[in-house]
Amino acid sequence: MAKKKNPMLKIFLIFFIIEIILVFLSGNFSRQLQVGFENKKFVLRNIEFHYDLQDEITEEFQIDEYNRQNNITPDVYGSEKIYDLFKRFFGAPTALGTFQLLRMILIVDIVLLFMALYIRKHLLARPSKSQLIFELIYTSLEEFVTETLGKEKANYTPYIVTLFIFIWVCNMIGMIPIPGFMEPTRNLNVPLGLGFMVVIVVHFTAIKMKGAWKHFQNYINPIKNPLCLLDIVGEMSKVVSISFRLFGNILGGAIIILVVSSLVSFVVFPVGLNLFFGMFVGTIQAFVFTMLALTYIGVEISE
Amino acid sequence: MDLTLAQGIVKASALLGAGLCMGMGALGPGVGEGFVAGKACEGIARSPENASLITRTMLVGQAVSESTGIYSLVIALLLIFST
Repeated sequence: MAKKKNPMLKIFLIFFIIEIILVFLSGNFSRQLQVGFENKKFVLRNIEFHYDLQDEITEEFQIDEYNRQNNITPDVYGSEKIYDLFKRFFGAPTALGTFQLLRMILIVDIVLLFMALYIRKHLLARPSKSQLIFELIYTSLEEFVTETLGKEKANYTPYIVTLFIFIWVCNMIGMIPIPGFMEPTRNLNVPLGLGFMVVIVVHFTAIKMKGAWKHFQNYINPIKNPLCLLDIVGEMSKVVSISFRLFGNILGGAIIILVVSSLVSFVVFPVGLNLFFGMFVGTIQAFVFTMLALTYIGVEISE
Repeated sequence: MDLTLAQGIVKASALLGAGLCMGMGALGPGVGEGFVAGKACEGIARSPENASLITRTMLVGQAVSESTGIYSLVIALLLIFST
């Protein structure tokens, strides 16, 4: 049998050789190799460079603070008239970090919409691979919902599955190596909003099950429930614990990836770190978030 | 970055506090996660046919018990970056 030559292998080999040459040319940590085009000429030279990890972290995670320190003002796009109109209604211009967050959420939404439309268009009786993955996610989460809430409460499945897929895509999208891409869950506002949504769903369920007056007596009537003040604090801490867990995991992973990849000059190691902190921790945290939301709802239903 | 003496003391104590916060906050989750993993090993040894279920439950339990460590991480980051 003739051995088939793999063209991809050749391309990988060429990249590997180029990478080895670049690594050996780039010298030590205080010097950096500059490759590119300058004044229509190809440039390959060693330059002195100053690397400050603190500045890098500030630029990556606190872009508003970075702009304030270096006196960078965001550009105004569009006409002055629209800008004035917006300024009249919403006050001073929005900080750039918020804009980045909104853009990332928009990208996540577009990805989810595209996935939904694509899979719905190619829905088959004999499922394809992508359809199989989503059916697997849906059926396994539906199983969890019916286990915790009971058969007749299976109408909570779409909410739980949406929560899982949204958080999972949010955690995965930070691994795409495009400058400016970040996980939306890295900003505290997104997990906090999701946590508030979970608590609102929990109370809505409780009101639906027990009636509004009977439910709120738990929080305002000290005769019926002597620990009613503690219960109010407990509701607050539910939001904090469920959202800070997600936020801290994702932010800590991102900071560790940044710090370690600054130590090893972007060779191979960050790939493994992304595999762990991006894929593993991201999937686990999305799963934990949905499971906790499910148990919060289940406690109210079983009472 | 020019700092006065008081600002320098505040910054230094914040950094020291961040290190202490992270080191002490990592103790509890480390012990807890190790405990959960050990119990899961015992469970798998007793009933190997339930290995996947036990592993899944173990991962969720570890992620929940990790949360105190994550809170200390958030507080350490606040101490480092916002003083």
